[in-house]
Amino acid sequence: MKGWQFVREARLRAGLTQAELARRAGTTQSAIARVEAGKEAPTLERLVELVRACGFDLHIRMVPLEDAEWASVEELLRQSPEERVRRFETVLQLATAGRAAMKDARGG
Amino acid sequence: MAEFAPEEILKVLEAHAVRYVVIGGFAGIIHGSPNGTSDVDITPDEGRDNLRRLSGALDELEANIRTAGEPAGVPFRHDGPSLGAVRIWNLTTRFGDLDISFEPSGTRGYDDLAARALRVRLPQVETTVAALSDVIRSKEAAGRLKDQLTLPTLRRILEEGNPT
Repeated sequence: MKGWQFVREARLRAGLTQAELARRAGTTQSAIARVEAGKEAPTLERLVELVRACGFDLHIRMVPLEDAEWASVEELLRQSPEERVRRFETVLQLATAGRAAMKDARGG
Repeated sequence: MAEFAPEEILKVLEAHAVRYVVIGGFAGIIHGSPNGTSDVDITPDEGRDNLRRLSGALDELEANIRTAGEPAGVPFRHDGPSLGAVRIWNLTTRFGDLDISFEPSGTRGYDDLAARALRVRLPQVETTVAALSDVIRSKEAAGRLKDQLTLPTLRRILEEGNPT
Protein backbone atom coordinates (compact mmCIF):
# COMPACT_ATOMS: atom_id res chain seq x y z
CA MET A 1 0.00 0.00 0.00
CA LYS A 2 1.08 3.54 -0.61
CA GLY A 3 1.27 6.00 2.29
CA TRP A 4 -1.72 7.99 1.08
CA GLN A 5 -3.85 4.83 1.07
CA PHE A 6 -3.22 4.36 4.80
CA VAL A 7 -4.30 7.93 5.48
CA ARG A 8 -7.48 7.65 3.44
CA GLU A 9 -8.28 4.22 4.89
CA ALA A 10 -7.80 5.41 8.48
CA ARG A 11 -9.87 8.54 7.88
CA LEU A 12 -12.75 6.58 6.30
CA ARG A 13 -12.69 3.97 9.03
CA ALA A 14 -12.88 6.74 11.62
CA GLY A 15 -15.75 8.35 9.73
CA LEU A 16 -13.92 11.67 9.44
CA THR A 17 -14.05 14.25 6.68
CA GLN A 18 -10.79 15.59 5.33
CA ALA A 19 -11.48 18.85 7.16
CA GLU A 20 -12.03 17.04 10.47
CA LEU A 21 -8.80 15.09 10.07
CA ALA A 22 -6.97 18.29 9.16
CA ARG A 23 -8.24 19.95 12.34
CA ARG A 24 -7.11 17.01 14.48
CA ALA A 25 -3.71 16.87 12.78
CA GLY A 26 -3.12 20.62 12.88
CA THR A 27 -3.06 21.09 9.14
CA THR A 28 -5.38 22.14 6.32
CA GLN A 29 -8.01 20.22 4.39
CA SER A 30 -6.13 20.91 1.16
CA ALA A 31 -2.96 19.38 2.63
CA ILE A 32 -4.90 16.21 3.51
CA ALA A 33 -6.45 16.21 0.03
CA ARG A 34 -2.98 16.43 -1.56
CA VAL A 35 -1.76 13.48 0.52
CA GLU A 36 -4.84 11.38 -0.29
CA ALA A 37 -4.52 12.17 -3.98
CA GLY A 38 -0.96 10.83 -3.90
CA LYS A 39 0.40 14.25 -4.89
CA GLU A 40 2.39 14.63 -1.69
CA ALA A 41 4.14 11.63 -0.10
CA PRO A 42 4.19 11.97 3.70
CA THR A 43 7.31 10.97 5.63
CA LEU A 44 6.93 7.88 7.79
CA GLU A 45 6.69 10.08 10.90
CA ARG A 46 3.97 12.23 9.32
CA LEU A 47 2.11 9.14 8.13
CA VAL A 48 2.02 7.75 11.66
CA GLU A 49 0.81 11.13 12.98
CA LEU A 50 -2.04 11.29 10.48
CA VAL A 51 -3.12 7.72 11.15
CA ARG A 52 -2.98 8.36 14.91
CA ALA A 53 -5.10 11.47 14.45
CA CYS A 54 -7.76 9.10 13.14
CA GLY A 55 -7.53 6.98 16.29
CA PHE A 56 -5.43 4.17 14.83
CA ASP A 57 -1.81 3.11 14.97
CA LEU A 58 0.54 1.62 12.41
CA HIS A 59 2.53 -1.47 13.30
CA ILE A 60 5.47 -1.78 10.97
CA ARG A 61 7.60 -4.90 10.99
CA MET A 62 10.06 -6.51 8.67
CA VAL A 63 9.34 -9.99 7.38
CA PRO A 64 11.38 -12.16 4.99
CA LEU A 65 10.59 -11.50 1.34
CA GLU A 66 8.88 -14.58 -0.05
CA ASP A 67 9.83 -14.45 -3.71
CA ALA A 68 9.03 -18.09 -4.39
CA GLU A 69 5.38 -17.50 -3.58
CA TRP A 70 5.36 -14.23 -5.49
CA ALA A 71 6.49 -16.05 -8.64
CA SER A 72 3.31 -18.13 -8.50
CA VAL A 73 1.24 -15.00 -7.85
CA GLU A 74 2.75 -13.31 -10.91
CA GLU A 75 1.65 -16.28 -12.95
CA LEU A 76 -1.88 -15.92 -11.54
CA LEU A 77 -1.90 -12.19 -12.27
CA ARG A 78 -1.20 -12.88 -15.93
CA GLN A 79 -4.42 -14.92 -16.01
CA SER A 80 -8.01 -13.69 -16.18
CA PRO A 81 -10.31 -14.09 -13.14
CA GLU A 82 -12.00 -16.89 -15.09
CA GLU A 83 -8.71 -18.76 -15.48
CA ARG A 84 -7.79 -18.24 -11.81
CA VAL A 85 -11.08 -19.71 -10.61
CA ARG A 86 -10.80 -22.61 -13.06
CA ARG A 87 -7.36 -23.35 -11.62
CA PHE A 88 -8.70 -23.18 -8.05
CA GLU A 89 -11.54 -25.54 -8.95
CA THR A 90 -9.04 -27.95 -10.46
CA VAL A 91 -7.15 -27.92 -7.16
CA LEU A 92 -10.43 -28.55 -5.32
CA GLN A 93 -11.18 -31.52 -7.59
CA LEU A 94 -7.68 -32.91 -7.03
CA ALA A 95 -8.10 -32.51 -3.28
CA THR A 96 -11.44 -34.33 -3.43
CA ALA A 97 -9.92 -37.13 -5.49
CA GLY A 98 -6.98 -37.29 -3.10
CA ARG A 99 -9.24 -37.60 -0.06
CA ALA A 100 -11.22 -40.37 -1.76
CA ALA A 101 -8.02 -42.20 -2.70
CA MET A 102 -6.72 -41.95 0.88
CA LYS A 103 -10.02 -43.28 2.17
CA ASP A 104 -9.84 -46.21 -0.26
CA ALA A 105 -6.23 -46.88 0.72
CA ARG A 106 -7.27 -47.04 4.38
CA GLY A 107 -9.93 -49.58 3.46
CA GLY A 108 -12.99 -47.33 3.17
CA MET B 1 -20.48 -32.86 3.99
CA ALA B 2 -21.00 -31.37 0.53
CA GLU B 3 -18.05 -30.95 -1.81
CA PHE B 4 -17.19 -27.28 -2.16
CA ALA B 5 -18.37 -25.91 -5.52
CA PRO B 6 -18.25 -22.13 -5.18
CA GLU B 7 -19.55 -21.34 -8.64
CA GLU B 8 -22.64 -23.49 -8.07
CA ILE B 9 -23.49 -21.37 -5.02
CA LEU B 10 -23.06 -18.19 -7.06
CA LYS B 11 -25.15 -19.60 -9.91
CA VAL B 12 -28.09 -20.06 -7.57
CA LEU B 13 -27.72 -16.53 -6.17
CA GLU B 14 -27.61 -15.14 -9.71
CA ALA B 15 -30.59 -17.23 -10.82
CA HIS B 16 -32.60 -15.67 -7.99
CA ALA B 17 -31.36 -12.19 -8.96
CA VAL B 18 -29.85 -11.65 -5.50
CA ARG B 19 -27.78 -8.46 -5.22
CA TYR B 20 -24.59 -9.31 -3.35
CA VAL B 21 -20.84 -8.79 -3.35
CA VAL B 22 -18.35 -11.64 -3.00
CA ILE B 23 -15.73 -10.86 -0.36
CA GLY B 24 -13.23 -12.90 1.66
CA GLY B 25 -10.99 -15.69 0.47
CA PHE B 26 -12.84 -16.49 -2.75
CA ALA B 27 -12.73 -12.82 -3.72
CA GLY B 28 -8.98 -12.97 -3.04
CA ILE B 29 -8.65 -15.92 -5.44
CA ILE B 30 -10.50 -13.98 -8.15
CA HIS B 31 -8.00 -11.16 -7.65
CA GLY B 32 -5.03 -13.53 -7.95
CA SER B 33 -4.35 -14.81 -4.45
CA PRO B 34 -2.65 -18.23 -4.36
CA ASN B 35 -4.31 -19.01 -1.01
CA GLY B 36 -7.24 -21.40 -1.03
CA THR B 37 -10.54 -21.11 0.78
CA SER B 38 -13.26 -23.49 1.92
CA ASP B 39 -16.25 -21.18 1.74
CA VAL B 40 -17.90 -18.37 -0.18
CA ASP B 41 -18.38 -15.10 1.73
CA ILE B 42 -21.00 -12.67 0.51
CA THR B 43 -22.46 -9.35 1.59
CA PRO B 44 -26.03 -8.98 0.32
CA ASP B 45 -28.01 -5.81 -0.20
CA GLU B 46 -30.36 -5.46 2.79
CA GLY B 47 -33.32 -4.22 0.76
CA ARG B 48 -36.57 -6.03 1.56
CA ASP B 49 -37.07 -7.52 -1.91
CA ASN B 50 -33.46 -8.62 -2.10
CA LEU B 51 -33.67 -10.41 1.26
CA ARG B 52 -36.78 -12.20 0.01
CA ARG B 53 -34.87 -13.33 -3.09
CA LEU B 54 -31.93 -14.37 -0.89
CA SER B 55 -34.28 -16.49 1.19
CA GLY B 56 -35.49 -18.21 -1.99
CA ALA B 57 -31.91 -18.86 -3.07
CA LEU B 58 -31.06 -20.35 0.33
CA ASP B 59 -34.04 -22.69 -0.01
CA GLU B 60 -32.74 -23.90 -3.36
CA LEU B 61 -29.25 -24.28 -1.90
CA GLU B 62 -30.75 -26.32 0.97
CA ALA B 63 -28.87 -24.06 3.35
CA ASN B 64 -28.58 -25.14 6.97
CA ILE B 65 -26.86 -23.49 9.90
CA ARG B 66 -23.28 -24.72 10.17
CA THR B 67 -22.35 -26.33 13.46
CA ALA B 68 -19.31 -28.26 14.62
CA GLY B 69 -21.08 -31.43 15.60
CA GLU B 70 -23.46 -31.81 12.66
CA PRO B 71 -21.85 -32.11 9.18
CA ALA B 72 -25.15 -31.50 7.37
CA GLY B 73 -25.89 -28.49 9.54
CA VAL B 74 -29.05 -27.63 11.42
CA PRO B 75 -32.15 -26.85 9.32
CA PHE B 76 -33.73 -23.48 9.93
CA ARG B 77 -36.76 -21.61 8.66
CA HIS B 78 -36.17 -18.21 7.16
CA ASP B 79 -37.72 -15.40 5.22
CA GLY B 80 -36.46 -11.97 4.21
CA PRO B 81 -37.04 -10.22 7.56
CA SER B 82 -35.55 -13.04 9.65
CA LEU B 83 -32.43 -13.13 7.48
CA GLY B 84 -32.00 -9.39 7.87
CA ALA B 85 -32.38 -9.59 11.64
CA VAL B 86 -29.09 -11.46 12.11
CA ARG B 87 -25.86 -9.81 10.99
CA ILE B 88 -23.82 -12.95 10.25
CA TRP B 89 -24.98 -16.32 8.98
CA ASN B 90 -22.57 -19.26 8.81
CA LEU B 91 -24.30 -21.77 6.57
CA THR B 92 -23.63 -25.06 4.88
CA THR B 93 -25.33 -25.80 1.56
CA ARG B 94 -25.50 -28.63 -0.95
CA PHE B 95 -22.53 -26.98 -2.67
CA GLY B 96 -20.43 -26.28 0.42
CA ASP B 97 -20.14 -23.53 2.99
CA LEU B 98 -21.61 -20.07 2.53
CA ASP B 99 -21.04 -17.21 4.95
CA ILE B 100 -23.33 -14.20 4.81
CA SER B 101 -22.24 -11.02 6.52
CA PHE B 102 -24.28 -7.85 6.15
CA GLU B 103 -21.47 -5.69 7.49
CA PRO B 104 -18.09 -7.40 7.17
CA SER B 105 -15.37 -6.13 9.50
CA GLY B 106 -13.94 -2.80 8.41
CA THR B 107 -16.75 -2.07 5.94
CA ARG B 108 -20.14 -0.40 6.04
CA GLY B 109 -21.94 -3.19 4.22
CA TYR B 110 -23.31 -3.70 0.73
CA ASP B 111 -23.50 -0.09 -0.49
CA ASP B 112 -19.96 0.56 0.69
CA LEU B 113 -18.60 -2.51 -1.12
CA ALA B 114 -20.82 -2.25 -4.21
CA ALA B 115 -19.49 1.23 -4.95
CA ARG B 116 -16.13 -0.24 -5.98
CA ALA B 117 -17.13 -3.83 -6.77
CA LEU B 118 -16.43 -5.40 -10.14
CA ARG B 119 -18.57 -7.60 -12.31
CA VAL B 120 -16.37 -10.52 -13.41
CA ARG B 121 -16.87 -13.51 -15.67
CA LEU B 122 -15.90 -16.84 -14.09
CA PRO B 123 -15.88 -20.20 -15.91
CA GLN B 124 -19.53 -20.94 -15.18
CA VAL B 125 -21.09 -17.74 -13.90
CA GLU B 126 -20.81 -13.98 -13.88
CA THR B 127 -20.54 -12.53 -10.39
CA THR B 128 -19.88 -9.33 -8.47
CA VAL B 129 -16.65 -9.26 -6.50
CA ALA B 130 -15.42 -6.70 -3.98
CA ALA B 131 -12.50 -4.51 -5.00
CA LEU B 132 -9.17 -5.89 -3.81
CA SER B 133 -8.67 -2.84 -1.57
CA ASP B 134 -11.96 -3.70 0.17
CA VAL B 135 -11.03 -7.37 0.55
CA ILE B 136 -7.80 -6.21 2.20
CA ARG B 137 -9.61 -3.65 4.38
CA SER B 138 -11.99 -6.32 5.65
CA LYS B 139 -9.26 -8.84 6.36
CA GLU B 140 -7.18 -6.20 8.16
CA ALA B 141 -10.12 -5.33 10.38
CA ALA B 142 -11.04 -8.97 11.06
CA GLY B 143 -7.48 -9.56 12.25
CA ARG B 144 -7.74 -13.36 12.26
CA LEU B 145 -4.51 -15.35 11.97
CA LYS B 146 -5.48 -16.82 8.59
CA ASP B 147 -6.15 -13.29 7.33
CA GLN B 148 -2.82 -12.01 8.64
CA LEU B 149 -1.04 -14.74 6.70
CA THR B 150 -2.68 -13.85 3.38
CA LEU B 151 -2.51 -10.06 3.72
CA PRO B 152 1.12 -9.47 2.63
CA THR B 153 0.44 -11.16 -0.71
CA LEU B 154 -2.86 -9.34 -1.25
CA ARG B 155 -1.23 -5.98 -0.45
CA ARG B 156 1.56 -6.68 -2.90
CA ILE B 157 -0.93 -7.62 -5.63
CA LEU B 158 -2.62 -4.26 -5.01
CA GLU B 159 0.70 -2.40 -5.06
CA GLU B 160 1.79 -4.03 -8.29
CA GLY B 161 -1.41 -2.92 -9.99
CA ASN B 162 -3.81 -5.82 -9.92
CA PRO B 163 -5.31 -6.10 -13.41
CA THR B 164 -8.69 -7.50 -12.30
